[in-house]
Amino acid sequence: MLNFLQMIVNGMAAGSTYALMGLAMVIIYKTTEVPNFTQGEMALLSSYLTYMFLDQYGVPYHVVFPAALVFAFVLGCVLEFVVLRRAKEPNILGMIVITIGLEMILMGFVSWKFGADQKTMPFPITPYDSVVIGKVFISTLELLTMGMVLLLMTGLFVFLRYSKLGIAMKATQQNDVAARLMGIRTDRIRMATWGISSTVGCTAGLLISSIVMQPYMMWDPLLKGFAAAVMGGMTSLPGAVFGAYMLGIIENLFGGYISIEFKSVVAFAIIVLVLCVKPSGLFARHYVKKV
Amino acid sequence: MMKKGFLVFLTVAAMAFGFPFSAAAEEGVTDKEIHIGQWGPQTGPAAAWGSVARGTDAYFKMINADGGINGRQLIHHMFDDAYDPAKTVAGVKELQEGKGMFAWVSGVGTAPGLAVKDYLMNKKIPWVGPSAGSLHWITPPQKYLFAVYPLYEIEAKALVRYAVEKLGKKKIAIVYQNDDYGKNGVQGAAEELARLKMKLVAEVPVQLTDSDLKPHVMQLKTSEADAVLLWTSVKHAVMTIGTSAAMQFAPQFLSTSTCSDFPMMMSISKGLWKGVIAATFAELPDSKSPLMAKYKKDAFDKFAAKDERWGLFYYAGIVFSEPLVEGIKRCGKDLTREKFVSEMEKLKDFQGISGKISYKPFDANDPFSRQGQNQTTLLKCIEGGAAERLTDWMTIQ
Repeated sequence: MLNFLQMIVNGMAAGSTYALMGLAMVIIYKTTEVPNFTQGEMALLSSYLTYMFLDQYGVPYHVVFPAALVFAFVLGCVLEFVVLRRAKEPNILGMIVITIGLEMILMGFVSWKFGADQKTMPFPITPYDSVVIGKVFISTLELLTMGMVLLLMTGLFVFLRYSKLGIAMKATQQNDVAARLMGIRTDRIRMATWGISSTVGCTAGLLISSIVMQPYMMWDPLLKGFAAAVMGGMTSLPGAVFGAYMLGIIENLFGGYISIEFKSVVAFAIIVLVLCVKPSGLFARHYVKKV
Repeated sequence: MMKKGFLVFLTVAAMAFGFPFSAAAEEGVTDKEIHIGQWGPQTGPAAAWGSVARGTDAYFKMINADGGINGRQLIHHMFDDAYDPAKTVAGVKELQEGKGMFAWVSGVGTAPGLAVKDYLMNKKIPWVGPSAGSLHWITPPQKYLFAVYPLYEIEAKALVRYAVEKLGKKKIAIVYQNDDYGKNGVQGAAEELARLKMKLVAEVPVQLTDSDLKPHVMQLKTSEADAVLLWTSVKHAVMTIGTSAAMQFAPQFLSTSTCSDFPMMMSISKGLWKGVIAATFAELPDSKSPLMAKYKKDAFDKFAAKDERWGLFYYAGIVFSEPLVEGIKRCGKDLTREKFVSEMEKLKDFQGISGKISYKPFDANDPFSRQGQNQTTLLKCIEGGAAERLTDWMTIQ
């Protein structure tokens, strides 16, 4: 029983990182219906620059971490403005290919600039301390990650539901032309969406970097985040978070009780299963056009 | 008309006599140059071992600066395969068939190496010092493949022997990368434990792409292991001990030589690597050996990039290339692949900055005719990433 409980907690801890990446993907998808595969590398670049300022220039945490989030926001906006907006007659497939291309460019840049050796980000808390609840362990970093997930999910939920910009984002996704006719500058909305999404991804990147940093580090969390978002329906923030926690827990239970060798393919089996059985995901209320 | 006929005759004669001349010269060798190929991951999950190829590059530059070998310069062609066997195959074929290499040296990783082994051997191209201690290089032995790296099996046996006989450990487990590299470690550990009438209490595989090792550490913890062998990538080794620390599981960790660059491991693990015991195949970075001092001064200081570090992986690129250079030197001016192989077979107790290296005349039934180094030494990581030597060079068959 203790092992089972520990696996559940471990699964939730792993799911927190997936949740952050899943949230970031959902934000962009909600507005543009494009799964953004640059997400991981946008976070990668922000994390490496943060590392550079912390490690090489000795800038204190309280300055560099907020600066990283601001940088991530600007990076997201710039990529949208400079690259995606320039796409001629964009369709979804074309946009996906562009995001994959950007992903490779950013990873190549990070590998070139910082080298491929493993590094670790200096961080205010050590990732290897843990808290014991009963006889179940959870690391302090994982607790922090869980806290960040809840905070961001709630914040984004409130923002999208009640703020003017959030409602404009939703309108842009549902009907671009109508939104423009209502005076919404949809280009700017999309740009802001990329900025916000990049900021959320950057949070995940900073937390992951405190364990091991390497140019390849965001690929697995991105794919798992994507799987979680698909599970939750791609447009639902709580759905992505729920999907991420479910994914983490299923992976851990699968690894513990069935096969640790095939643990890492569970996420992708879930994508296939969800797309076959309930393509709109577990939480999404799909927007159906009546003809 | 006569003039035109003469020209045709000249052309045909040139083709008839010219081609045999070029065919007689060894591929990848000219009067002034010897072309050597190498792959190594500069990006991707195994990028920490990318410095091996850069170490070889600096070593070759040092040799060239000293006048080359028998009047020829070593031309080093290295490429990034990102530890992806498909890229290794593509890169090796491109260089071999495009530019023509005399021989190949090092090459990080069991899986990438296995992907090109048959190609190189079928073409009878010498390959010296694959940067992985896999059994596959010598079972069966190949005439043109000279292994330098001590077998992972040997390292696993040495570590298990030390854990049981010197540290009195009773329950040994292993966490291993789920490929040949990892499985060779499992095999060595299991064989040594069988000799000691014991068994592994847990064998936990890790996939190269895994980013969460909690289920793996759970299995180790459930097995109540008091010593855990780490046969993984650097990243996963750090994640294993980090996750273990967070789950308050504290066995004695023992690691393969691939994670024996202690300053780097200490830095990445934020100090958790202290106390880990590792096998290694070369001198320590601060060794007083005159040869190490020369390599540091004439290869590293002069030719390494600004932010490069004089660590084990870097000078491992020299370790794996030393026998190749020695073999080429012994060939003299008349350098052919067959002569090179014959000179390599005469190496006996050759020692550079690793343990002793010997080969024997090729014997298809004797894997050790192509296994150069059978020695390993054990180190313990102490304060500040320094190493305490626990054993002398151990010879294990």
